[in-house]
Amino acid sequence: MIDPMTVLAILAMAGVTYLTRIGGYVMLKNRTLSPRATAVMEAAPGCVLISVIAPDFVSKNPADLAALAITLLAATRLSMLPTVVIGVGSAGVLRWLLG
Amino acid sequence: MSVSEIALAEGQATSGCNAEFRRGLAASTPMLLGIIPYALVLGAQAAQKGLSVVEVPLMTGLNFAGGSEFAAIQLWTSPPHVLLIAAITLLVNSRHFLMGAALAPFIRHLPRRKVLPALFLMCDESWAVGLADAQRRAAAGMRPAFSLPFYLGAGLSVYLAWVAFTTCGAALGPVLGDVEKYGFAMAFPAVFLVLLRGMWKGFAAARPWLVSLVVAALTYLVVPGAWYVAAGALSGLVAAWFLAGDK
Repeated sequence: MIDPMTVLAILAMAGVTYLTRIGGYVMLKNRTLSPRATAVMEAAPGCVLISVIAPDFVSKNPADLAALAITLLAATRLSMLPTVVIGVGSAGVLRWLLG
Repeated sequence: MSVSEIALAEGQATSGCNAEFRRGLAASTPMLLGIIPYALVLGAQAAQKGLSVVEVPLMTGLNFAGGSEFAAIQLWTSPPHVLLIAAITLLVNSRHFLMGAALAPFIRHLPRRKVLPALFLMCDESWAVGLADAQRRAAAGMRPAFSLPFYLGAGLSVYLAWVAFTTCGAALGPVLGDVEKYGFAMAFPAVFLVLLRGMWKGFAAARPWLVSLVVAALTYLVVPGAWYVAAGALSGLVAAWFLAGDK
């Protein structure tokens, strides 16, 4: 049920992940940033978000690309829940239609 | 803002603690639509690699970072290469450094004994809604801008869903088949696009995002593995650094 090497690997993952979670906060907690560094930190959240979903923009599946375009349009004018429903719905329907 | 005003604002925030927690739960609900299918898939894949129904929640409950868990499971062998797994986890989760740094100005006023445990629940979703909420409240003049109970509500619901449904995935694995084919994968970009719109401050401010998007997409196409997140995020930051010098 529980293998010692598996537990060791899981503990290593958990330790590394927790350090990444507290790292940015611990390093910047007591610092005042220069205007330039502030500009960089202001851009950072968007840069991370868009990088995580970048693969969706170069999907090889035309149905997914079309669904992403619809989702993008929905995201510019609707709130979270309708956008998610439209995104998932259009992806499901388009995948079914376009194979 | 004077010390007494800050104290007053803190008092108001505490009195509405339950409401704020529930607001966080509600904010994270649409995201569960995207998280649950992923959790089922991860659990099923982990079971295929030989992890038991006890080991899967151990991983997803202690590590609680889906991207790194997918990457680790892809590379999982029996016995696992501990150093390789730790290194790939660091690579995939290095974005947390930036996320924590972005959150730092908003949580600076909170005591460390609250912040350090709270950061355990910082995942893409809880961070993004927590930060977007803090930015919105800051713009509306609310102090403190960051609502800890709101963030904890969002983080806890994602956490419970992740651990519960990865376990279900491990138990049900072979029965489910390919969950991804139903279009649930689109929930993730949908959530992120709405959050990006909330952070939108005009095209000029968004130029680093465009750099991130292009570099991450190209890296994804050319380089195998999870490098695209680090490459995209870092190039966007470099672009922001240079663009800030133009002013």
